[in-house]
Amino acid sequence: MKGFLNRLRGVERDIIQMPVEDTAAGPYYEAQGNEIEIFEAAYKKRLPVMLKGPTGCGKTRFLEAMAWRLQRPLVTVSCHEDLTSSDLVGRFLLEGEQTVWQDGPLTRAVKAGAICYLDEIVEARTDSTVIIHPLTDHRRQLPLEKKGQEIEAHEDFMLVISYNPGYQTVLKDLKPSTKQRFIGIDFNYPNEDIERKILRNEVPELAEAQLAPLVAAGRRARTLKDHGLDEATSTRALVYAANMMAAGITPLEACKAALVSPVTDDPELAEALLEIIRAHFS
Amino acid sequence: MSSTEILAEIQQVLADLEKISFVAHRDTQSALGAIQPYGDETVLEWVKACKALFEHDRDAGKAFMRGSVAACGASNTVLPWTRQAMRFLAWRGSWKAVDGYMEQLPQAYRSLGFEGEVRWAELGLDWCERHLDSGVAYFRCPVLELEGGHGINGIEDVVLPSVELFGNRRLALGTYLSGAIRVRNLLGIEAVLPWAKRGADILQSGRLRGEAFFKLESEESMALLLENLPGFRIPEHQRLLQLVIYAWFGFNLDLLESKWSPDKGRAFVETDGVALYLPMALPDREEAMLAVLHATGHLKFHSYERRYIDALFRAAGREHPPLDAEQRITWRPLFAAYGDDMIRFQLIFDICEDTRVDEQIGRHIPNYRQRLLRAADAAAIVDGPAAAYFRWARDLLQWTIEGAPADPVFEPLRPLLSNDANIVDAFRIANELYKHTDLPAIALLARDQAFLPGRSPNAARPVYPRRMLDQAEFGTGLEDQEDVVKNQEIKPNPEQKQIPKHAAGEDPDFDIPPEETAGSGGRVGVGIPQPAHVLGYAKGAEYSEKGKPYAEWDYRDNRYKRNWAWVQEKTLTELDANEATRLLAQYAPALQRLKRAIQTQKPIRMAPLRRQFDGDELDLEASITYVVEKRAGMSPQANIYRQRVVQYRDTAVVLLADMSTSIMQACAEGGGKVVDRIRAAMLLFAESMEEVGDPYGLAGFASKYRDNVSYYTIKGFDETLTSHTRAVLGGLTGRLATRMGAAIRHAVASFDRAPSARRLLLILSDGRPADYDDGGDERYLHEDTRMAVKEAGDAGIHVFCITLDAAGSEYLPQIFGAGHYLVLDHINDLPKKLPEIYLRLRK
Repeated sequence: MKGFLNRLRGVERDIIQMPVEDTAAGPYYEAQGNEIEIFEAAYKKRLPVMLKGPTGCGKTRFLEAMAWRLQRPLVTVSCHEDLTSSDLVGRFLLEGEQTVWQDGPLTRAVKAGAICYLDEIVEARTDSTVIIHPLTDHRRQLPLEKKGQEIEAHEDFMLVISYNPGYQTVLKDLKPSTKQRFIGIDFNYPNEDIERKILRNEVPELAEAQLAPLVAAGRRARTLKDHGLDEATSTRALVYAANMMAAGITPLEACKAALVSPVTDDPELAEALLEIIRAHFS
Repeated sequence: MSSTEILAEIQQVLADLEKISFVAHRDTQSALGAIQPYGDETVLEWVKACKALFEHDRDAGKAFMRGSVAACGASNTVLPWTRQAMRFLAWRGSWKAVDGYMEQLPQAYRSLGFEGEVRWAELGLDWCERHLDSGVAYFRCPVLELEGGHGINGIEDVVLPSVELFGNRRLALGTYLSGAIRVRNLLGIEAVLPWAKRGADILQSGRLRGEAFFKLESEESMALLLENLPGFRIPEHQRLLQLVIYAWFGFNLDLLESKWSPDKGRAFVETDGVALYLPMALPDREEAMLAVLHATGHLKFHSYERRYIDALFRAAGREHPPLDAEQRITWRPLFAAYGDDMIRFQLIFDICEDTRVDEQIGRHIPNYRQRLLRAADAAAIVDGPAAAYFRWARDLLQWTIEGAPADPVFEPLRPLLSNDANIVDAFRIANELYKHTDLPAIALLARDQAFLPGRSPNAARPVYPRRMLDQAEFGTGLEDQEDVVKNQEIKPNPEQKQIPKHAAGEDPDFDIPPEETAGSGGRVGVGIPQPAHVLGYAKGAEYSEKGKPYAEWDYRDNRYKRNWAWVQEKTLTELDANEATRLLAQYAPALQRLKRAIQTQKPIRMAPLRRQFDGDELDLEASITYVVEKRAGMSPQANIYRQRVVQYRDTAVVLLADMSTSIMQACAEGGGKVVDRIRAAMLLFAESMEEVGDPYGLAGFASKYRDNVSYYTIKGFDETLTSHTRAVLGGLTGRLATRMGAAIRHAVASFDRAPSARRLLLILSDGRPADYDDGGDERYLHEDTRMAVKEAGDAGIHVFCITLDAAGSEYLPQIFGAGHYLVLDHINDLPKKLPEIYLRLRK
């Protein structure tokens, strides 16, 4: 109820939020393998975790679910190329005649014992990726260079980064010294049964007769990755397509809008994708 | 005139006729019985016409009299056609026309109706007026053929265009008509006019050639028709089909063009066990899609698997399948036992095997069989024995879709629906069915119509047996070691195998006369680059001029030799789209990484440079930090400005590839030839350049003597990267030697067309500059190349050489200067490295 009202009002909330304890409100996540056990073990030993996997396969959803499961607040920072270390750690501000230090999201998470999630870390500048190093080994400290301080991390603090190997480029890659500090969990698109289950759960109003071909078509479309398709059809895209269908768009149009048009401008490739979709829905 | 007078007049005319000719009188009398019911006045006019025509021309008269009964029977009138016939009196020697007219008249009434006939006659008479021979050709042409099922409009459509052609270019109807009707029947009316116009041009240049064109006997006629073929045109959708095959079956197949032409009957997709052979066009998209899926299904589900074929021939009583010269299996002996009834058995066998394969495909591709059935339902069934097979196959398909309910007719075929069934089962069941079936005997000619849309004769070509199951199902696979054929060695078009040659300069084939390199000739890579005659693309693009001369530096005299090296711009005609697709698929991950790298470099917006010491606006955050830190007692640096600059680097680049014979050598590291890597490198370079957006050109060069330096522009600055360009890159081969200096000078000249200020010439080479006529003096061409590089530098073009020659560092510093070359001795890296090198250079 509170969540609903907040959505209506657009309420400003602090980034450190304990998950709602109500069991019904837990984010839906369907395990694909042993990722939950691995994550829980890593959390138990407070080891930093790296989530690897293609776009739209459920990394962020997984983390939301885990934060809820472990009852820790989750602080998400989407990294971009202008993200500096002070954006993460904090900076001095002027207030009247004096200067005031303001903590950045990472510092706050470290203090509050939250799970800090640095999404798409490769996009961030190298100086910001390096400051997490002391946090990720036995020291578990965050140095505040400008203040000349160090913060010992809260005992519940955990650092999680996501890393999409597709974005691994000649120019942009995590430094090996950064990479090797993490426990890696590999994600991929879930298998067919799980994918169906996910869609059923996300879009309960979709007819079963449309669900199976949609999932099959999406999986078939994935085979064209590397044949001109940069990003394969994601589970998220399938959920979108299912939503469009549930909203009354014909399957073919819905798939075209959600699975084909966004991923390619190449007419022949689009035609091949449509051919797959048509085969499943004809 | 009273009736008595009329009768008297009739008698008078008949008497006159008798006086002129006994035959005329007899023929008139015999036809009279049919005319008389229409009244005496009609009879009179008719006999007058008989007499007039006979007097005008005996044969015309006879034809009229003899045709009258049939004409009367078909039209139930007399006067209209009698009056039409009278108009032939206007021309001398018109009897042939009358003959044709009377012969076609009944059919004209039957199929065109009364008004249609009038128009038909009108058109013909106009032609007689214009050109009597054309009129004759018109009336002699059977009406049914002429209208082609479209009525009088069909006749107008096909005849009227020729009026203009006759007016402009004196194209007679007789030459045009029969071909035009065939063209219309094959391709539709739209194709007729362009075809005829071209034909008229050819006719004016040579009579024999033109007539062959109009008879559809010449190759140019066929080529023109193929270009205008209606339906789903395969060459335009090759990539789509390849993607679809990959999506459903997970492997890439070569799609080659079959030699089908519209007059050869129905278009089918065929396979030789390695590649698919596709006709120029298929009736529609759906049929093309189904046909490609079906044919690939045969390959996927082991119709051409060596083991099964062996078993098949054993079942047919032969120990080994017979192989032809290319180690392909020929099917004929398998069917020979059935003698004259061979086609019947073949069809039954095909239906059994197709049922098995389609069942398997259906498990793989949803709705595949339903689509097949839908296409079969929509297809028009041609009457004759083939129809029985068609219906049977369709009902069988329906039965399998319905889940194979108990049915006595189809019960014997049930084993084919099992997952384990193979082609031997199909053969066995086909034999059983053959003994008991009541399907009619059928001739080869009718066979084509027996296939459902998407299916095709399975034994249409000799096949290379496949080897997919060796390890999987049959144990060790060791037993194959002595076999002649190994699966990985099988390549379509084996005659195009390339023979590695020694490095340029020691070419053992140097003395061999020029040969065609485009066709099926033997040694690709050693012939002269420009074929004597070219088939297909760039037809007739021959170069006779000497090309463009360049000076060459002679270090011995310390001077330039003027107009010494002659460079000819040529087009590469060897295309290989399949190779290009294969390479792009192979290097897709590398390409994707490159593209991402490029995207991050690409200036998509004005990039704000933050924390600058100088700039036109304040970096707010930096300023605050500055003030804050200052207040806090620190001494921060004053880098508080922000600049916005577009980091756009204006570079034009030409990638110039050495295409000498030496690139045909096998890679030292194994895994193919050097040329494979060069193809891949150039393809990847081109694809990355598309992403970079810089203007770029691709070219290659080869030489033989100073007056024969070939410069192949593969892509100019102003051209876009098309599938044709990719196919050229895929078909790249090596030939002749390396006169690099002249090529560099020519490439430098080509930068005139470059739009950018910064210019870069990338040379991709695998050895030192050399040519046949350098007299073994390596230094001569080295020095010349050095001068050419220097000239390029003077012209503002930066030259950079990438060599695959491990010994390159011995001579490249002298030619290109230190730091202006790169030795890549790990050749497998070339495709990935080349675009990276460029990106590094352009920074």
